Amino acid sequence: MVPIFFYVACAMSAAGLALLLMPQGRTLRFGASIMGLAGIAWILVQIVRSIGAPSDALAPIGVLALCAFVSVASAVRVITHHRPVFCALYFVLVVVSSAAVFVLLSAEFVAFSLIIVYAGAILITYLFVLMLAQQSPADIGSTDAVEYDRIQREPASAVIAGFVILAVLGGSVFRVHESNPPATLDQDRAIRQGWRDLALMPTLLLAQARQADATVTAVVRRGNGQFVAVQSDHSAILSVVRANQSTPTDLTLPPALLPDNTSRVGMALVTRFPVSLELAGIILLMAMFGAVVLARRHTMHGDDEKRALAASVAQRDNASGALTR
Amino acid sequence: MNAALDIGVASGFTLAVPAEISIALMISALLFTLGIIGFLCRRNMIIMFLCTELMFQGAALAMVSFSRMRMDVSGQVFVIFILTVAAAEAALALGLVVLLYRRRETLNADAWSELGES
Repeated sequence: MVPIFFYVACAMSAAGLALLLMPQGRTLRFGASIMGLAGIAWILVQIVRSIGAPSDALAPIGVLALCAFVSVASAVRVITHHRPVFCALYFVLVVVSSAAVFVLLSAEFVAFSLIIVYAGAILITYLFVLMLAQQSPADIGSTDAVEYDRIQREPASAVIAGFVILAVLGGSVFRVHESNPPATLDQDRAIRQGWRDLALMPTLLLAQARQADATVTAVVRRGNGQFVAVQSDHSAILSVVRANQSTPTDLTLPPALLPDNTSRVGMALVTRFPVSLELAGIILLMAMFGAVVLARRHTMHGDDEKRALAASVAQRDNASGALTR
Repeated sequence: MNAALDIGVASGFTLAVPAEISIALMISALLFTLGIIGFLCRRNMIIMFLCTELMFQGAALAMVSFSRMRMDVSGQVFVIFILTVAAAEAALALGLVVLLYRRRETLNADAWSELGES
């Protein structure tokens, strides 16, 4: 069953967040942030403690929990800070720390594209729009933000609704029925999938085979029609033709030559999801058209006005031309 | 084990997924929740859209952690499509926000609570 401590911690951080969202004094703010962050830290510490593993497995999980804590704390700042520019900057911190979580989950390509696209492109757009459409404070030099940034709308009911969703979503990581076996990270399956992905990429396969043995000239299919046979010790056997041989012989690739995350993602993108890739391009193109249409200044000129405008411009040009001549 | 942190049955829980996955899932749920709360609470239109980006972030984190659990890269490919949609949405939504700001000279979403001709 879902442990009681999880619901207690949820209620604690919900109360802290609700207090943070309501307008109040500095000391209460401090206490509320301590309470909310303590609730989140409690959940994370309990999960880390529950593994009871040797210390070498604990270190990456500790780093993961730290990144998780930073990202959640700055997400809280995003929704509680009174100055929109600081909200956007705290969102950059959320993106960077969750990119660290992605790296720890061995999704390097997604992590760095997230930093480039989110922190580099989208957030810059947000900052520019904030500068374009920012209201100056009521009197110059006051540190108070404008009224609609300071006073939130219905914080208590929003927090209750949100944390009910959190209690349902987050409860799913705990084992509910003892009969269900816990899921495990299947290393064997991962290695097998990795070699199978490599077999889809002939050029990379030849390059990896050359790394293992420089005299390889070609990789050929094995007897069962596959390029790669995976061994139980995670190495793979290829049939290769060497420079001074006419018949294919076996070559063993060590697990260190598995394809990296970036090439696997790229391969999946073009072999399994080519139509989605094209559709993504169309979506971006349409968004660009839409942004251009929206941003164009709408000026209504009748035909006569346009003619008059053109005539005045032409007259001015003639005048200046005459002056220079 | 430190018994002071446990209350009642708390000591005896087991995780359904490995610990690193469950931490990632937990923060993905938290980011999604904070995004919902921010969208409901904040009255600044730009911050409301920023909170939808927070929700995208939570969804992407869940995708990547399940992709790690199942050892399948399709989850990461899906995050790339999420990025595409987020970029398109940001471009369009911010263009709309600038248009709305030109009409009412305020970013307050409550200024638009009565629909109709401005």
